[in-house]
Formats: sequence, C-alpha cells, structure tokens
Amino acid sequence: MIRSLFDYLRLAATYVRFNLKAHLEYRGAFFSQVVSMFINDGAWVIFWILFFKRFPVLHGWTITDVITLWAVVTAGFGLAFGIMGNAFQLATLIAQGEIDVWLLQPRAVLPHMLLGRSAPSAWGDALFGFVVYLGFVRPDWPRMLAFIFLSLIVGVVFIGFAVLCGSLSFFMGHAGALADQWRNALISFSTYPPTLFQGAVKVLLYTVIPAGFVSYLPVQTLRSMSAVDGLLCVGGALLVLAAGVSAFYWGLRRYESGNLVSMNG
Amino acid sequence: MRTGWLKSVSKYSWIGYTAARSEWAYSAANVSRIIFMATVLYVFMRLWSVVYEGAGVERLGGLTEKQMLWYLVATESIIMSMPRLWYEVDHEVRTGAVAVQLIRPLSYIGAHFGRSTGERLVRFAINLVMGSLIATLFAGPIAFSLSGLAMFAMVLPMAFIIDFFGAMLVGLCAFWLESTQGIALIYSRLMMLLGGLMVPLEVYPDSVQPILRALPFAAILNAPGRMLVAPTFALFVQCLGLQALCLVVYGFGVFALHRYALRRVFVNGG
Repeated sequence: MIRSLFDYLRLAATYVRFNLKAHLEYRGAFFSQVVSMFINDGAWVIFWILFFKRFPVLHGWTITDVITLWAVVTAGFGLAFGIMGNAFQLATLIAQGEIDVWLLQPRAVLPHMLLGRSAPSAWGDALFGFVVYLGFVRPDWPRMLAFIFLSLIVGVVFIGFAVLCGSLSFFMGHAGALADQWRNALISFSTYPPTLFQGAVKVLLYTVIPAGFVSYLPVQTLRSMSAVDGLLCVGGALLVLAAGVSAFYWGLRRYESGNLVSMNG
Repeated sequence: MRTGWLKSVSKYSWIGYTAARSEWAYSAANVSRIIFMATVLYVFMRLWSVVYEGAGVERLGGLTEKQMLWYLVATESIIMSMPRLWYEVDHEVRTGAVAVQLIRPLSYIGAHFGRSTGERLVRFAINLVMGSLIATLFAGPIAFSLSGLAMFAMVLPMAFIIDFFGAMLVGLCAFWLESTQGIALIYSRLMMLLGGLMVPLEVYPDSVQPILRALPFAAILNAPGRMLVAPTFALFVQCLGLQALCLVVYGFGVFALHRYALRRVFVNGG
C-alpha cells in the first residue's frame, strides 16, 4: 500500500516535470499566464484591502482572515490544477470519448489521466497563495507548516469536486457547461467570508457546493491551530474526493469510446 | 455618396442582426450566464446587507441598500454581456484567419463591431431583465425616473463602444505577443477594480476617487450604473464628457494599432 503510494507520488513528480518542460517550450506564453494570474489574484486582494479600509470588520472577519482565505484557496487551487490539470477538461474528455488512451495503460485510470496535463495559469495561483501568506500574514513556523498542509487538503477538495462535476458527462452527455458552472459556484462562494451566509445556504456550502471545506474550515484551523478543526478539514476533503472517485468509476462502466486516433505526446 | 454610406451601415447592421440571432439560439449558454449572475448578485446582496447593518447607516456612497443591489444589476449586466472579442481577434491572428477576413469587402474592425454589438445586445437584454427580476425578488424595486432612464439609455451605448475599443486593443496585441490571454485577464481585473463593478467609486477612499473617475473604466461601468440608480444632470454631463474623451483616445488607439499591425501580415499562400 505504502509502496504503491510512493510509486504514484514518483509518477506525479515525473508528470509535473514533463508538463513544466512542455510549457517552457513556449516560455513567453507560460510566464505571461503565470504573471497575469498572479496580478489577477492581487487585484482581488487589493479590492478587499480597500473594502476593509472603509469597513474594518465583517461579521467578525478582518482583513487578515480574508487574505488568509485568499492565500489558502489560491494555493490549493493552483497546486491542484497545476499538477492535475486534466481535471478541468474531464467533462469534455469523457463526452468526446477521449479517455481510451488512459484505459490502456498499466496504471489506475483516474489519477493517471488527471496528471496528464497541467494548467499553466494555476502555477500563478499557487505562487500567489504562498507569497501573499508569507508577505501579509507573516506566520510563525507551525502556522506555515499548517498552511502548506491545508493548501494540499484544499487541493484535494478542488480535485474531488472537479472529478464529481466532470463525471456528470458519463450520465448526461456533454456536461461541460454544467461542470464549469458548478465549479465556478465553488470558487465564487469560497472566496468570500463564509460568515456572510446563513441558514439553508450554509448547509449548501458543506454539501452541494463544498466551499466550507475550502474556505471556512482551513481559515478557522489556521486561526485556532486546533487539531479538531484540522481533522474536520481532512474528513471533508476525503468525503468530497470519495464522492468524485465513486462517481467517476461508476460512470466509467457507461463510457463509450470515441474511436479517435490521436497521439499522446 | 449618401447611398454608399447607407449601404455600409446596412451591411454591418446585417452582421449584427445575424450575430444577435445566433446568440439567441444558444439557450444553454444564456441559462448558464443567468445562473452565474444570480450567484454573484446573491453573494453581493449578503455582503452589502452585512455592511449596511454593521455601519448602521442608510446610505453608502450616496446609495441605499436597495439602490446598491440595482447598481450591481447594471454593472454586472454590462460586464457579463461583453463577448470574448479579444479571444476571437487573437485566434484569427494566430491561425492566420485574419488574412481571409482582410480580403472581404468589409472593414475588419467594422465587421467585429457589428458582430460583437449584435451578440452583446442580446446578452445585455437577457442579463438586465433577469437581473432586475432577481433584484426585485431579493431586495425589492426602486423608483426610476423617466429622465434617469433616458440618461442611462444615452450613456450605455457609449460605454459599449468604449468597451469594444478596449477589447479590440487587447486582441490586436496578438500581432506582437505569443498570447493575449494574460493582458486580457489583467485588463478585465482593472476594469473590475477601477471601474466600480462591485463597489461604486463613491465608496472608495476620497483620495483615490478623482483618479478613478478620470479613467476609461469608470466611463464603462460606474457611469451607466449611477445613471440607472441615482441620476443627476450634473453627473450625466460629466459622464458624457469623460465618455467622449475616452471614445476619441481609444478610437484613435485602435485605428492606429490596426494600421500598424497590418504591416506585419505576410501571406505565404497555402
């Protein structure tokens, strides 16, 4: 089990290296996407800084909490799609019958396929998350280590959710637009202070759109450094991942090849 | 001479009409945009509700809580109605399709203007109607004056044209850059942040307001938004002045960049 895990981690490292090398063949385009995503995220943080300058506290949340929120969400999102960029394309890959190539290889289909591509702009998000957390929040060592761990956990939520949304294509035909909408809703809700939402919407944020596991719980963990909050984050992430993986392998039984002849280089 | 001018207008109007009908046909994309807009409006309704409650005031930046949500309806409807023009131009330049466009008896910029305006009008109408329904449901209606609506209707087309020129400038950069995606992203974020997409400029710190008001982004978002919810004649004149200036500067920029870019087109056959 442990050996198999290390084996997959080595595979992931190899894919990351190859994907980065491929991006660096067009280094102008790659760096421009990384830098522009960094600036894009920075624009949001500037918006919140201006906002909190005028309204200093928002239902108990301060500017430090919102910056922590942005840092952990962007770092998690960036790591997730920088490493497993095919999670973005899953709905289209399934709808167009393009996963044959991954079915033929001696590896588990889902992780292998997800590793096959890297989203270049996601590296800008990841870089932004770490820079802004170090620069603005100035954490101590335990908090920094917790931040790295929680970024990975948030990444797991994003991947699990993207797989869940993308797998809808097995059941509905082309679910690309729906998957995009659902994923955008997760991003929209997870980048605002969760204390804004109450009642039924709060329930939705821990179930249908699991933004609570991406935003509220990780920030709460970094505030309190409580093991219980940390365990809740891990539990939530594993639940979302399990839902996504189950939906994928259940749907895979219904998969029909597109009979495409393509090179996978 | 007069007939030629009319023929040109008619030609580009037909392009716009065809684009509008095509846009109308993609109902799934329209529904998905409405869902996204409803999500954004809901999030901001909650945000402003908490802010007004916490601040204990009736007006912020001269707007009541209801007016604030209606302001968002106007600005979100404008921003979400813009087609991905920069992407189309970028794609045409990168694939060489621009060469085919150039041999047609059409102005390259004019054809794009007709197409993007046609698409935009359909999107904007849907966004505004659905946004108004959502705002009425979430916050309730506000009082509109006939003169305010007339001022909004005059400021809006100017905003669309300036926005078109802005997107065209970004797209034309494809003649020099490997990808314009980065510039487009930064441009859209500057628009969001400096144009008053989510927060009217009047809510920003006093020290930065004069700078923000002088930028073209304000002419695209803040001006129409204010005209819809809290119009005054003085503000209308000020908005029109800024829009006229932006139109001249952006328009000149587009035509100059287009002429310069055309020198870089090489046709190798094929």
